[in-house]
Amino acid sequence: MNSPKSKVQSPKSEEAGRSLWADAWAQLRRSRLAMACLFVVLVYTAMAVYGEAVYRVCRIKDITPSYQKQNLEEQYLAPSLPSRHPMGTDGLGRDVFQRLLQGTRIAFQVGIITSLIAIPIGVILGCIAGYFGGKTDDFIVWLYSTFASIPGLLFILAIAMVVGKGLLGVYLGIGLTTWVGLCRLIRGEVIKHKSRPYVMAARALGLGPFRIMFRHILPNVFHIVIVSFTLRFPAAISTEVFMSFLGIGVQGEPSWGVMISNARLRLWHGVWWEMTFVTLAIFGIVLAFNLLGDALRDALDPRLKTGEV
Amino acid sequence: MLIYISRRILQMLPTVLGVILITFILFNVVGGSPAAMTLGRHVTPQALEEFDEQRGFNKPLFFGWWTKTRALDDEAFRKTPGAESVEQGFIRMTNGAYTVPLAFSLRPNTTYRLEIEYRMADGASVFPNIGKNALEFSKDWKKTELIFQGLEKTSAKDLVFKVDGTLEVRELQLRRKMANPLDSQLVFFLKQIARFDFGMSSSLNQPVSGLLLKGMGPSLFLMIPVFFLELFLAIGIALICAFMRNTLVDRFFVVLAVALMSINYLVWIIAGQYVLSFKMGWFPVWGFASWGYLLLPVLIGVISGLGSNVRFYRTIMLDEMYKDYVRTAFAKGVSKSGVLFKHVLKNAMIPIVTNVITAIPFLYTGSLLLESFFGIPGLGYLAVNAVNSSDVDVIRAEVFIGAVLFVIFNLITDLCYAWLDPRVKLE
Repeated sequence: MNSPKSKVQSPKSEEAGRSLWADAWAQLRRSRLAMACLFVVLVYTAMAVYGEAVYRVCRIKDITPSYQKQNLEEQYLAPSLPSRHPMGTDGLGRDVFQRLLQGTRIAFQVGIITSLIAIPIGVILGCIAGYFGGKTDDFIVWLYSTFASIPGLLFILAIAMVVGKGLLGVYLGIGLTTWVGLCRLIRGEVIKHKSRPYVMAARALGLGPFRIMFRHILPNVFHIVIVSFTLRFPAAISTEVFMSFLGIGVQGEPSWGVMISNARLRLWHGVWWEMTFVTLAIFGIVLAFNLLGDALRDALDPRLKTGEV
Repeated sequence: MLIYISRRILQMLPTVLGVILITFILFNVVGGSPAAMTLGRHVTPQALEEFDEQRGFNKPLFFGWWTKTRALDDEAFRKTPGAESVEQGFIRMTNGAYTVPLAFSLRPNTTYRLEIEYRMADGASVFPNIGKNALEFSKDWKKTELIFQGLEKTSAKDLVFKVDGTLEVRELQLRRKMANPLDSQLVFFLKQIARFDFGMSSSLNQPVSGLLLKGMGPSLFLMIPVFFLELFLAIGIALICAFMRNTLVDRFFVVLAVALMSINYLVWIIAGQYVLSFKMGWFPVWGFASWGYLLLPVLIGVISGLGSNVRFYRTIMLDEMYKDYVRTAFAKGVSKSGVLFKHVLKNAMIPIVTNVITAIPFLYTGSLLLESFFGIPGLGYLAVNAVNSSDVDVIRAEVFIGAVLFVIFNLITDLCYAWLDPRVKLE
């Protein structure tokens, strides 16, 4: 399994001239598809930041934001370009485009916060299990195999149900259940790195185990975290859409799931635009992240396979 | 082989215990009694207590003699009629009889404990209706416990303080003594599992095990065709991709797979239902009357899962393509299709089998979305409704059974390894 390629990404060597990251970036730059995806992700990020800004400003000034403003005279306006509502309006006369931006904000929030919950759990447990081995390892392996055996979506729904409806339930549900894959990968890598000379040298210098783990080994396995982040982001977004659609996710705010749920019945009356634009928005971000994640994985670590992250 | 199997079964036990523990922690420790959530606001504490009694929620969590009772909420005493409520969170009672109302009569022949934190600058206080208990004089805050029997004759729906002087109470807690300290929620849960009794659905008022049995059929009817169709299609396409690696066909399928993966499940369902059922009228829209109703959900189920599966199997096969034995086979002059079907497919079987077998337990929970959209009365439908009506018992049972099935099928996977690949050593 240890192909010669794997040696490239071990310690960052100055003689080689370029670090793993510079190498990966160069490879990424060559791929037009990856750069396009990166661009798309950046555009979405800008949308999310704009949405956040609108949300904040409206909260501080205490005014009804445009995405909540109802206008019953402008119900179901079809999209038309040179107009105030480029994507039309919904059944309460609210602007679909503004709501879509808010949906982007919530999707990014979910993607980032669930990562902030899941990635530290996965990394810390993975490092500890791999480094210390023995009983500690047994315990952590037991813990993650238990988590892994519980059906994912049901587990998320159960956590959300216990925590209560709302974004907190979404964060905790997704965050607390999706660290297993990363933990497993990190543990495996740390076990491999543990016997490498640089770790032994660090140990001979008398450094403590946590310093070795997090200052020396972690930077060398960090690419796994990056790839895992890119691939879990779209999954988290899709799960949020699903939960909000079922009514146990976001409450009272225009998340993509809520919008789909609202648009679904109107679709039958020929109001196609809300559904179409939300669908396209989700499709775009998920596709971009999936492709980017693949490209990153190829650039950073060719040995990671699909389905493992 | 028998030794191997029994050892693997032993290894399985900690995981099953872990699953029990996690479901218990999630629903009982973190979640607590869902009584108030399920029954709504306007119910008597007695109804809540009965709900808890039926589901074991009125027992201590792991171990203990004392447990809460809803007869007296920990905060309720602050509303004692006649007592003067003082800013710092305590009540003051001067000269007279005060009644702390209990929500319902205490159980006969059961020991109760009243924990009081009080101070009494002067005078004395007794509880005439719960035995001869009296409070001692104390200038500083003092905690004391009064033990008494909830007797039949203590028609005592109420706790009466008879105060002679000034009594201030900061905390008042009523606890019920368990007959057996081991009679806890955890033991109750374990007993339920041992009996395959998963409690009562609070929204449907039926035993959960019956609901699960009833729902399993429709779920399997839906998921088994999805499973097999997807398996054959995905492996077929993956083989084509591996066979025509780096040609246009391969590229096309790879891009298609990623695109299929990126379309949200919801969208497949909504668009399929709208276009194919509603506009075209090819399929029935909703219901579960005949096999025709299954066609569209099966179709959508297959398409929505196809992308990731094709990608996965293709990666596995390409992984094998670079191995030495493939090069040797080519060097020997074996044809491309010969290598692919005889050598590669055989060796790719292990990851494929893992993927396939570990997917089987998920067939049981059915598809949450497909079922609720198309009105198929399976387990997914049940779960979605249960989440919406906070029906804890149903969700807990589904989570638990799903996990146990997963563990069992993992075992089966391992046994298949041993059977498929002689290199797997049965140490």
